Amino acid sequence: MNKSKLLVKIITLLLVLGMITGCQPPAPASTESPAAAETQAPPAAAETQAPPPAATTPIELSFVTWSYGVETIADNIKKFQELYPNITIKHKDYSWLEYHDTMVAAFAADNAPDLLYGSDHWLQEWASAGWLEPLEDHCPSVKDYSSELAPYALEGMTYEGKVYGLSYYADTMDFVYNEKLLKDAGIDKAPETWDDVYTMSKTLKEKGLQYPIIMAWSQKEGAFPEAWTSMVFSQHEGPHALFDAELKPVFNQEGSAAYQVMDWLVKVYSEGLLDPASLTTAEIDQVKSMQAGQHAFTIFPQYNMAEVNKPGSGDYAGQFKIALMPGVSHSTVGYVRFYAMTPAVVKKGPEYIDAACKFLDYFGGKTDGEYKVVKRWAVENGLGFAQLPLFQDPDVIAAFSKWGDVPTIEQQAKLARAKEGLTTWYGTWDVFARAEIHKAILGEIPIMDALNNMANKWNELKGQ
Amino acid sequence: MAIQLPSVASKEKNMTIAEFHQSKRTVKIWDRFYPYFSVSIPVLVIALFTIYPVLYAVRISFYRYLLTKPKDHPFIGFMNYKEVITSYYFRNSLINTAIYTMAVVIGVTLFGLIVALLLNSKVKTANALKIIILLPWAIPAVVGGLIWKWILNSDFGILNGILYSLGLIKDYIPFLANPNLAKISLIMAAIWKEGPLAAIFFLAGLQLIPSELYEAARIDGGSSWKIFRFITLPLLRPIMLIVVIYETLTAILVFDLIYVLTGGGPGDSTSLISWFAYAEIFKNLNLGHGVALAVIIALITLVLILIYLRIIRSEE
Repeated sequence: MNKSKLLVKIITLLLVLGMITGCQPPAPASTESPAAAETQAPPAAAETQAPPPAATTPIELSFVTWSYGVETIADNIKKFQELYPNITIKHKDYSWLEYHDTMVAAFAADNAPDLLYGSDHWLQEWASAGWLEPLEDHCPSVKDYSSELAPYALEGMTYEGKVYGLSYYADTMDFVYNEKLLKDAGIDKAPETWDDVYTMSKTLKEKGLQYPIIMAWSQKEGAFPEAWTSMVFSQHEGPHALFDAELKPVFNQEGSAAYQVMDWLVKVYSEGLLDPASLTTAEIDQVKSMQAGQHAFTIFPQYNMAEVNKPGSGDYAGQFKIALMPGVSHSTVGYVRFYAMTPAVVKKGPEYIDAACKFLDYFGGKTDGEYKVVKRWAVENGLGFAQLPLFQDPDVIAAFSKWGDVPTIEQQAKLARAKEGLTTWYGTWDVFARAEIHKAILGEIPIMDALNNMANKWNELKGQ
Repeated sequence: MAIQLPSVASKEKNMTIAEFHQSKRTVKIWDRFYPYFSVSIPVLVIALFTIYPVLYAVRISFYRYLLTKPKDHPFIGFMNYKEVITSYYFRNSLINTAIYTMAVVIGVTLFGLIVALLLNSKVKTANALKIIILLPWAIPAVVGGLIWKWILNSDFGILNGILYSLGLIKDYIPFLANPNLAKISLIMAAIWKEGPLAAIFFLAGLQLIPSELYEAARIDGGSSWKIFRFITLPLLRPIMLIVVIYETLTAILVFDLIYVLTGGGPGDSTSLISWFAYAEIFKNLNLGHGVALAVIIALITLVLILIYLRIIRSEE
């Protein structure tokens, strides 16, 4: 037989078979949410088929975090496991810069961990896709904690009226300055407006400071949009700085707070006051160059204050101060990162849900009537918190006083607002917006083009 | 009545004629189907791991497939392709890819050729250099990207340090924060990474050229340049074609280096088409767009491969 004919026949047959199978409807999407599946399963039947094991049955839960304070996390896990010897936590961490994409890939591949860190700017995206479980459907204590949370934090953990997380930490984006560098340049007060920052930066540059301002605005840096939004909030009175009540963009108008902020950024960039490396700088490098005294002004999450002012951490330790976010309203962004649970736990059964709730209670809730883990992060690492009663805790007050001015911290916290436009498409939009902000700062496109592109993208995503 | 068959193997001695024919028929059927059977196993493996995923991906590209809406995938025909192709970001990434590919292919070819010529000379250290030169190629692209990220760092990068200490620059240069410098940095890193492989290819080609040709040319009074121009270069053409094909495909499909070094920025100045496809899937969570882009990339590379194959055939 002609060999080539034979091969052609086989390949044709397989191609046809491949086409038939390949052209099946894409990804057999589950027609019911995991939560719905759980409620449909009759508990009695479940008990008779597989009776729930005794409390001592070994249970293993996977827990994924980003790589911050890994030793503390490990120690917290150790203590939790001592309290619940039958529960084993398998911890894995990924870089904060890669965290979102890594988790999306895991979710899409149906390889999600049981428990993980989440963030307010991804919540809507992840919850709408069914990648997270509403905690209040499974863990009764979650609702009790809500009344003690700062409103912006609760809002950041809520999707369609349900709470999806227990706060790991909640913080504000703060404007920070190096008091010594300012004093050395003859400046004896903190800036109150963005014009003040500009004027002071000019003075500092004249005195020899190459780039007085630095931002951590690498496109991979998750805190980039939060810092930018803080600037916009501070330059605007009241709500709707970016979107109106119907979620229509209002920022793409000349004279809007966003326009003013962009105008200011273009000015400080083109005049060499803003370090050009800001556009590729991540938070760690930002903190290190501030500690080295290379810059006088920055915006970063408040928890970095403990690090930059840590005794012995550099020549300027103790010189870093928080000023209210410069601008007309001094408002800023308050954000929350939280512990979340995935449908993987629900699929494994009630004993796993119970173990997961115990874990969440220990890490984001109370143990023996106290927010033990949250307080530990606050005292040891200077992380902010959403649990308002902790503001009265003497240990917390003493710890915060070491690196910051507590009244200013409290005042800034009161002026903090949740990010506007937290929707299922916010995460996608904020990544898009980063590149547009970059292009405007670099002068590649006019400010209005960048803002219009951002508004168009928002409307496009909203319409999908 | 059983008939004894004369002079056959002892096994067949007691076979009836009917049994013998039956056995021959079985062998014939086996002979007939054996080729199908033997070929079908590797083809099945290929079908499972190549044809099926490709067709499945093509299928997805005709659906609105947002990862945030796992239960809603309406058929939208060529809409994903239309949306992707008409977007500014596609045009921008295509231009960036074209610039990057041309620069990298030319750079890698020249670098490879020059290094190969040096290594082929009678330099004493040539043997050691042959091994050392391969190191960048042996380093994973992600590690290479990180190395370059540190080298080019605008606050403490060694390149800035050297330039500054030599008095060549007054201020540190933000290599990765300037759109043009970021493009150049990416191209340099790619040449550094891919150049050694091209050098080894060219070196292999150079060593295949008979030395008699060079000797004859020298006897005829040929200058070094003329020897290179009329002997070395023409005989290296097949190798050069392979290098160009390979490097073109590698450049079009580059992703890891961008991921580590620039993340597509600043702005979208280093957003190449493969990065754009990644961003559509993992940042915009639009699998339909991302897969449509992947199909477009596959078609572009397919067309290029066909062109190159045609050139190679005409060379032969």
